[in-house]
Amino acid sequence: MKLIITDLENFHVPVEGEYKIIGPQETIKQCVGCFGCWIKTPGKCVISDGYEDTGIFMGRCSELILVSRCCYGSVSPFVKAVQDRALSYIHPDFVIRKGEMHHKQRYENIFSLSAHFYGENVTEAEKETARNIMAANADNYDGLVKGVYFYKTKKELEDVIL
Amino acid sequence: MRIALINGSPKIQGSASKKLSERLKCICERRLEQIEIAEFGFHDTVIAKEVLEDLSRADIWVFLFPLYVDGIPSHLLSCLIQLEETDFSKKHIHAYGIVNCGFYEGVQAEFALKILQNWSVKAECIWGSGVGVGGGGALSQMPQIELGHGPMAPIDKAFAALLEEISKKEVRENRYVSIAFPRFLYKLSGQLGWRKMIKANGKKVRELGNRPESR
Repeated sequence: MKLIITDLENFHVPVEGEYKIIGPQETIKQCVGCFGCWIKTPGKCVISDGYEDTGIFMGRCSELILVSRCCYGSVSPFVKAVQDRALSYIHPDFVIRKGEMHHKQRYENIFSLSAHFYGENVTEAEKETARNIMAANADNYDGLVKGVYFYKTKKELEDVIL
Repeated sequence: MRIALINGSPKIQGSASKKLSERLKCICERRLEQIEIAEFGFHDTVIAKEVLEDLSRADIWVFLFPLYVDGIPSHLLSCLIQLEETDFSKKHIHAYGIVNCGFYEGVQAEFALKILQNWSVKAECIWGSGVGVGGGGALSQMPQIELGHGPMAPIDKAFAALLEEISKKEVRENRYVSIAFPRFLYKLSGQLGWRKMIKANGKKVRELGNRPESR
């Protein structure tokens, strides 16, 4: 299953195969760093606003696809809020991976990570940061980067098949 | 010179960012004269108008925040966008960043600092430098330790150097430090901490690895 996290309210991007979209249909609350998703309701965020199951969906996906406005080389606040709230995807215990500390996997799936950034005036420095962050995300999720792509407008995304 | 210490943790109290802000303030008061410190908390997605006005009176903005998924917490990202969109002649404001990581290696904050640096360009601020602090999970529980001593010593040293640069408005490379505590013990104590906390919530240790079903 492909899991798509996007800040696009009207998502018109063609997708092949089975997929689930997490978009800004509801108002998302920010992660407050309570770690309740590790020690109170392990595997699930304690904030009930419709976005508490993202970590569970990530545990079932074969590809995680981020479709987002590029903000200084980061994903947008909405997509980042979904990612922050999905801390439960990983286990609190630590492992050493590539010589650095990361978290142990909660699930057995290994997914590929793709990011499709849109926005005008995205600088080369921002593109480089975005690529580096996706690589770092893949290390933390213990996954693989499939690709990081940039588009000037949302409309250009309609010509892409995810 | 007026320095704004901006705590970007979503936690209002008891955060590692607050602890680091207090440490930085303490070092600043001891080493630098004619410096006024103003403290701000960006704990939500929106910055109030009066806070924006107060921020405009600062010469230096120092952002302190936790590393969230290799980047900036979502609410702080919203605040940065609001700052960029606010016109308060901030062309001469110098921006610095201090990021605390739950992981041991401060260098894991590299790209979060890079986001802040990219933001500085768009917000027409002058980027100074940043510090990535590893071992952030231990900071909020650490007792008050004299400056320059104990596990906080490498952080104090990096902060003293950062403040020196701030006082001269210098632009430097980012620094990455970890608490002076062995990595294997940090890893072990963290894991023991999660076990203690889940038991305190009436659950069994094995439930740390639960794989719940969605609704």
